[in-house]
Amino acid sequence: MTNNGTRWALLGVTTVTAVGVGRAVARRRHRRQPERQDGWYVVRRGVTVDRPRDAVIGFWTDRERLDRAVAGWATLEQVDDRSWRCVARDPAGGGTEWRAEITVDGPGTLRWRVEDGPVPQEGRIELVDAPQGRGTEIRAELRYRSGPLRRVFGLVKGDDPDLGLRDTLRRVKSLIECGQVIDTRRDPSGRSPGQEKATDKVREKLMTGGRA
Amino acid sequence: MRALCWEGVGKLAVRDVPEPAIRAEGDIIVRVRASSVCGSDLHLINGYLPAMREGDILGHEFTGEVVETGSGVRRHQVGDRVVVGSVVACGGCWYCRTEQYSLCDNSNPQPVFTEKLWGHSPAGILGYSHAAGGYAGSHAEYIRVPFGDVGAFPVPDGVPDDSVVFASDAMPTGWMAADFCGLTGGEVVAVWGAGGVGQMAARSAQLLGAERVIMIDRFPDRLATAAERVGVETINYAETDVLEALREMTAGRGPDACIEAVGMESHDVGPTYAYDRVKQSARLQTDRPTSVRQAIMACRKGGTVSIVGVYAGLVDKFPLGAAMNKALVLRMGQMHAQRYIPMLLDRIASGEIDPGYLATHPLPLEEGARGYELFEKKQDGCLRSVLHP
Ligand SMILES: NC(=O)c1ccc[n+]([C@@H]2O[C@H](COP(=O)([O-])OP(=O)(O)OC[C@H]3O[C@@H](n4cnc5c(N)ncnc54)[C@H](O)[C@@H]3O)[C@@H](O)[C@H]2O)c1
Ligand SMILES: [Zn+2]
Ligand SMILES: [Zn+2]
Repeated sequence: MTNNGTRWALLGVTTVTAVGVGRAVARRRHRRQPERQDGWYVVRRGVTVDRPRDAVIGFWTDRERLDRAVAGWATLEQVDDRSWRCVARDPAGGGTEWRAEITVDGPGTLRWRVEDGPVPQEGRIELVDAPQGRGTEIRAELRYRSGPLRRVFGLVKGDDPDLGLRDTLRRVKSLIECGQVIDTRRDPSGRSPGQEKATDKVREKLMTGGRA
Repeated sequence: MRALCWEGVGKLAVRDVPEPAIRAEGDIIVRVRASSVCGSDLHLINGYLPAMREGDILGHEFTGEVVETGSGVRRHQVGDRVVVGSVVACGGCWYCRTEQYSLCDNSNPQPVFTEKLWGHSPAGILGYSHAAGGYAGSHAEYIRVPFGDVGAFPVPDGVPDDSVVFASDAMPTGWMAADFCGLTGGEVVAVWGAGGVGQMAARSAQLLGAERVIMIDRFPDRLATAAERVGVETINYAETDVLEALREMTAGRGPDACIEAVGMESHDVGPTYAYDRVKQSARLQTDRPTSVRQAIMACRKGGTVSIVGVYAGLVDKFPLGAAMNKALVLRMGQMHAQRYIPMLLDRIASGEIDPGYLATHPLPLEEGARGYELFEKKQDGCLRSVLHP
C-alpha cells in the first residue's frame, strides 16, 4: 500500500477532511475566541463507504477528480515524495487561510497537521475493511488545542470540530459513492428573500454534523 | 413559474416562484404534466411532521416531460415522458445497491433532524419538508429531479398522465405493502384505509396471490369503489366491530396478513380516539395509531402486519404484547420506488393494474388548495386530486 495510488487516495480523503475540519474550527474561532491553553481535545469519527478499499483509493488517484472534489476549498502542492501542502481558504469568506501539512504515514494511514492556521490541529485518517463486505471504514481522529477556558465557555464537548469532522466524512462518502454532494439550498420556493435567509439558517443547522 | 406552496398549518396558496435549474451533473428538469395529492401531504399540511417552512412547494407524486438534462445524465433525453419516484436515491450507496432506495445514505442533505428523531436519516423525498431534505416539490410547472438516471423512468406509450402518475408513489407503496406480506398463494389479506395507497395494496395483494382481500374504511363511496374496481370485500368500521367481523369472515383464524394504509392521523370511533387526539394535540404522542393497534389485534397467530401508513414519532398503547405472543411479523417502511416502478409500468401497460380511476378530480394547479380540501375531507367522492400546471 505504499504505491502512488495509495498516497493520492489517502491524500484526497485527508485533504477534504483537513479542509472541512479546519473550516469548522476556524468558524468557531470567529464567533467566540477562547484563550489558547495547553492540552488537546480528541474527536474520533468514522464513516462506512460502500466500496472496497482499492476503490476508495482509486477514487482519489484521479488527480483531476481530486482537484474537483476540493475545488473552492483548497489547493494542493506536493512538497516531496511523502508530503503535501494544502492551502485552504474559508469558503464563507473572512479571509481566513490555513496550511495543512499532509504526510503519508504508512500503509493505509495519513496524518495532517495545521500549525499556522487559526487553530492548531492535527489529525489522522485510516482506511479499514468493513465487515461483511460492506466496503471500507474511513476512520478519522482529530486533535485540536484547547483548555480550561474552552470548558468554561461550554465548548467541552468539542462540538464544532466534531460537527465539522462528521460533515466532512459524510461529504467524502457521498463523493465516492455517487460523485456529488447533494444540495437543496437553491431549490425554488415561495419565500421572500427574508424568509429564504431564515430558512437557509435552518438548513445550515440541519446540514451541519449529521452522523458518521 | 407558478407553484402550490405551504403557507402555515392548513394553509396553501399558488405563488410565483423562481424556476429550478440544473445544479449537478445527474440532475434533470421535468416539466410537470400531472402531480397528485397524497395522504402523506396531509400530515405535512396539518403540521404533524413539524419540518415545513413557509413557502415550501408541496407535491411528490408526478409525471412529466424532460426539458433539460445535466451533463452526466445517460438514460434520458429532452422530450422524454417520464414518471419519477417520490424517494430520492443516489444509486451508489449500499442501500441503493441492495434496492432499499428509501434508505439511501446520500440523498438527504439535511440529515440532522431525522437522525435526532430516529437515530439515522433515511432517504430524501421530493416536496416532503426539511426533514426529508428540503427539496422543492412537484406542484409546480417545473421540478428539478436529482439523480435523474436513478429516479426517473420512461412512460410506456399510450398510458395517460392521470394513470401513470400513480406509478410514482401510490402504486409502489401499495405493492411494497403486499410484498411485505410474503404471500405464497391463497391468503386472506385485510387492508386498513381505502385511499389510493390501500386500493393499490389490495390490487397488488391479489396479483401476488391473495385469495381474498378485505378492506376497512368508513367512507361508503371509497369502499364501494374498491369493491367494484378491485373486487374486495368491505367492512365499514363506523358501523361494524372490525375485530369481530374479521374473525367471523375468516372462521376464527384472523387474516393471514394485515396491511395498514392509514397513517398517523388515523380516525376512530369511541373513547380511545378522544384520548389519542388529546394526547396528540398536546404533543404527548405525535401519532394516532388506531388502525395499527387493530391490525395487530386482528392478525392471525404468526401472521404479518405490514405498515405503510406514515408515522413520525411516538405512539401510545401499542399492543406489543399481542404482537409478541402471537409471534407476528411486523414489516414497515417508506416505499422503495425505484425497485418497483419498472415492473409496475409493465403491469400498467399490459392492463393488469389500471390506477387511472384514482384520479377522481383532475384540476388546474391554480385550484390546488381546493384539490387538497376535497381530498382531505373526502368530499365529492374524491380519491385523489391530480393537479395540472
Ligand atoms: N410508506 C410510504 O412510502 C407511503 C407512500 C405514500 C403514502 N403513504 C401513507 O399511506 C397512508 C394512506 O395514504 P392515502 O394517500 O391512501 O391517504 P388517504 O387519506 O386517501 O386514505 C386514508 C384512508 O384511511 C381511512 N381511515 C382513517 N382512519 C381509519 C381507521 N381507523 N381504519 C380504517 N381506515 C381508516 C380514511 O378514511 C381514508 O380513506 C398515509 O399515511 C400516507 O402518508 C405511505
Ligand atoms: Zn405520497
Ligand atoms: Zn443511495
